[in-house]
Amino acid sequence: MTSVGGVPYHSSKNDIVDTAKPWMREAMKPGLTDEQLVSALQLFGLRRDTKDRWNLTLVLAAGDARSKLRDLVSFLRDDQSLRMNTLLDISAIDYLSYPNHRGPRFALVYLFKSLEFRHRVMIKVEVEEDDARLPSIHDLYRIADWTEREVWDQMGIVFTGHPNLKRILNHHEFVGHPLRKDYPCQKRQKLSINDPMVDQLEARLRELGYTVVESGEVHLGKPIAAKHQSAAEQGQVDRPRAKSEGAIGAGGL
Amino acid sequence: MTFKPVPAAVTPDNSMGDAFITTRVDAVINWGRRNSLWPFPFGTACCAIEFMGVVSSMFDISRFGAELVRFSPRQADLIIIAGTVTYKQAPVLRRIYEQMCEPKWVISAGACATSGGFYDCYCTVPGIDEIIPVDIYIAGCPPRPEAFLEAIVQLQNKIERENRVEQKAVGA
Amino acid sequence: MKVLTRANEPQDLMTVNIGPSHPATHGTLRIFAALDGETIEAAACEMGYLHRGFEKMVEQGTYTMVLPYTDRLNYCSAMINNIGFCKAVEKMFNVTVPERCITLRVVLMELSRIIDHMVCVCTNLVDLGALTNFWYFFNTREEVYKIWEKLCGQRLTNTVTRIGGMYRDAYVGFEDDVRKVLTRIEASVAEVRGLVEHNKIFIDRTKDVCVVSAAEAISYGWTGPCLRASGVDRDLRKDEPYYGYETYQFDTVVGTTGDTFDRIMIRMYEILESVSICRQGLDRLKPGPVNTADARLSLPDRDHVYHDMEALINSFKLIYEGVRPPPGECYDAVEAANGELGFHIVSDGGTNPYRIKVRPPCFTQYAAFGGMLEGEMLADAAATLGSINIIAGELDR
Repeated sequence: MTSVGGVPYHSSKNDIVDTAKPWMREAMKPGLTDEQLVSALQLFGLRRDTKDRWNLTLVLAAGDARSKLRDLVSFLRDDQSLRMNTLLDISAIDYLSYPNHRGPRFALVYLFKSLEFRHRVMIKVEVEEDDARLPSIHDLYRIADWTEREVWDQMGIVFTGHPNLKRILNHHEFVGHPLRKDYPCQKRQKLSINDPMVDQLEARLRELGYTVVESGEVHLGKPIAAKHQSAAEQGQVDRPRAKSEGAIGAGGL
Repeated sequence: MTFKPVPAAVTPDNSMGDAFITTRVDAVINWGRRNSLWPFPFGTACCAIEFMGVVSSMFDISRFGAELVRFSPRQADLIIIAGTVTYKQAPVLRRIYEQMCEPKWVISAGACATSGGFYDCYCTVPGIDEIIPVDIYIAGCPPRPEAFLEAIVQLQNKIERENRVEQKAVGA
Repeated sequence: MKVLTRANEPQDLMTVNIGPSHPATHGTLRIFAALDGETIEAAACEMGYLHRGFEKMVEQGTYTMVLPYTDRLNYCSAMINNIGFCKAVEKMFNVTVPERCITLRVVLMELSRIIDHMVCVCTNLVDLGALTNFWYFFNTREEVYKIWEKLCGQRLTNTVTRIGGMYRDAYVGFEDDVRKVLTRIEASVAEVRGLVEHNKIFIDRTKDVCVVSAAEAISYGWTGPCLRASGVDRDLRKDEPYYGYETYQFDTVVGTTGDTFDRIMIRMYEILESVSICRQGLDRLKPGPVNTADARLSLPDRDHVYHDMEALINSFKLIYEGVRPPPGECYDAVEAANGELGFHIVSDGGTNPYRIKVRPPCFTQYAAFGGMLEGEMLADAAATLGSINIIAGELDR
C-alpha cells in the first residue's frame, strides 16, 4: 500500500508545531487576472472553456490528460505566483445526453483556489469513455483521496495509483455508477450486510508501521432480507404465534 | 384505565377502606408500559433535529413519560426512526431492532422513514416497513414537534388496547 | 487483533466500531478504530449512510424543485443552502436581485449561521457531559424557529428563497422580532460561556486535543471555522465579498492552536459577530421590491397577465417549466456555517439542471478525521467529532 510518490501517511501528532505562516493571518493579496493565469499556464497547452462564461475554466484535452495532469497540479500548487493550495472539489460531468455535445463523454472539473492570492482556476480534464482512467493526485492534496473515491463511486472513472479506491457513498455491494446518465434513477440495490472494514483498518495499521499478525473477529449479524420475515417463514423453530400476526409485541423473528 | 375503590360493603369491618383498588392485569401492565416509554432515537437526518426539539423544554416529551432517551437498544422499548434510511443503513437498523427486547414499539417519524420521502432514487429505502414492522407513522417533512407528541399519545392509546392474555409465548 | 508494533513488540489491539447509530456521532457516521487500552492507534472512517442521491434527484425536476433538496443538505442552517443555490443560478442569468432582497438574505444567512453554530456547540457539549447548555441553546433556537414559521411557514427546512428573489417579503413586525431574538441570543451565549469557558473540565477535555496544523488543514481543503481554528484567517465574506459584506463591520475569529477548544470557542464568538451583522443588516433594510423584475425569473403582475399576451405566456412558461438558465457551467460559493458551500451547475439550456455538484464543506473535515484521531483517546473522539460539525445531510448528500 505505498502511495504514489512515496509520500508516507502520518498522523497530525507529528505536526503539533505550529505550521502557520505569516500570510495566513494577513489579508489576502490580490491575485492574477484571468489573462495572467492563462498565460502562466500556457506551457501546458490548455484552452479556455467556452461553456464557462463566468469563471476561468481551462481544458486539458483527453490525449494530454494522463501525461500532464500531475505536473499541472504540482505547478498550480507550488508556483510562487499561483499558490493554489486548496483543492475544493472534483466535479464529474457525464455528457452522454448533453445536446450537441462533441468530444469525450466525461469531464472532470478540478476546482482550485488560492488562500494567499485572490484567484481561482478550474481545470477541466476530458476523459474518454473507453479509457476512463486518470492519475491520482492524492499525494499532492490529501483531500483528493476521498474526492477521487467519490468520483469513482458515482461516475466510474478510475484513478491509477490511488491507495483505496472503494465505495464511499454507495454501499459496498452496489454495482454500477449511479450518476452516469445511463443509470436509471429508481434502480434500487439492496444491501445484505455491512462492510466489515477490517481490511481498511489493517491497511491503515500497516501504513503506520504495524504488522498485523492475527485479525480479530467481526460480528456483523446475519444478512437481512428485504421484507421482515417471521421465524416460521425463515424456517426456524416453530414458536406459538399470537393470533394477530404483526400486532404489537408479536414481532421478533 | 379504571380505578375502582373497594366499596365499604365488601370489607365489613371497614378496616381497609380505600387501601385497595381492583382492576385488570392488562390495565396495570399497559398503564405502566405506556407511561414509561424509553425511546431510542434512531435519528439519521433532519427529523432528528426536530426530535431534539421535542426532547427539549419547549415541547417536553417527558410530560408523556418518554423522557429517558436510551442510546442502547437493549435498554429501550420504543425506537423512533427519524430521518431517511438508506440501503447502507438498513442492515444497521435491522440489527438494532433485533437487539431490542420485547415489548418494543416502532414509530416511523417523517416522510423519509415512512415512504422514502421525495428521495425516490437508487439509494433510499422506500419506507422502513420494508425492514421492520412499524406501529405509528408520522407524516411531515419534518413533522412539527406537536406531531411527535401526538404520535406518542396515539402509541400510548394503542398500548392501552393490548391484551396480554391472548399473547401466549414469551417474547410474543 | 494481534499486531507487532514498529519496534516488533507484540501488542493486542481491540477493534471497536463506533456508529453509524451512536449518540455522539451526530448522524450516521462510522468509525472503526483499533484501540490500545483507551488510545486509538488507527482509525478508518466510513460515510455514505445518509447518501440520498441529491445529485441524481435534482436532475429529475426543474430548478425551482431543487430548492427543497438544498434545504436538506445542511439541515441545521437550511437558508444558507437555499441562498447559495439561488446565488449560483442568478449568477448564470447575470441578474442582481434587488437591494431589499440582498439585505434580507444577509440577515437570514447570519441568523441561520447562528442557529447552526448553536446546534454544533450544544450537542458537542452534551457529548462532554454539559447537558444544561443544550436546553439553553435549544430554547433560543425555538425563538428563532418562531420567526421562521411566521416568515415562511416552516421551522427547519425553509425553502425561503426563490431564484430571483424570495418566497415572500418579510412580514410586518419581522424586524422587531429579529431584534428581540438577537438580544436573547446574546444572553444565552453569555450564559453558556459563563458555564463553559473557564470550566476546568471543559478546558482539560478540549485543550490540545486533536490538534490540526495549518498545513494539514489546507492540504485537506478545509474552509470555515475549522480552518480559522488552525490559524488561517480566511473567510469568503472577507476575501471574496458578496451581497455587500464588504460594507458590514465584523471581525473573523481566528484560533491559535487548532485544537478542539479553539474550534468550539470560535463558533461561540462567531455567533456574536453574526449578531452584529444582523443588527447592521436590519438597520439598512429599506422598503422595496424583493423579487427581481427580470422576466426570465419572476412572474409578471396578475394585472398584466390578464391583459397582455406576452405576460400570459411568460407566466405560463415560468410556472410549468420554471427558469431556464443559459447553457453553460458555473460555480459559485457562499460562506456557510461550516465553510465554503459551493454549487457547480451545468446547464444545457433546458428546464432541468443537467448536473449540479455540491461542494460540501464538512466533507473535507471528515476526510481528515481519521488521521486526527490517531494517538488520541477514545473519549477525545467524541469531543472532536462534535467540534468539526459534521452534518450528514451535507456530507453524504
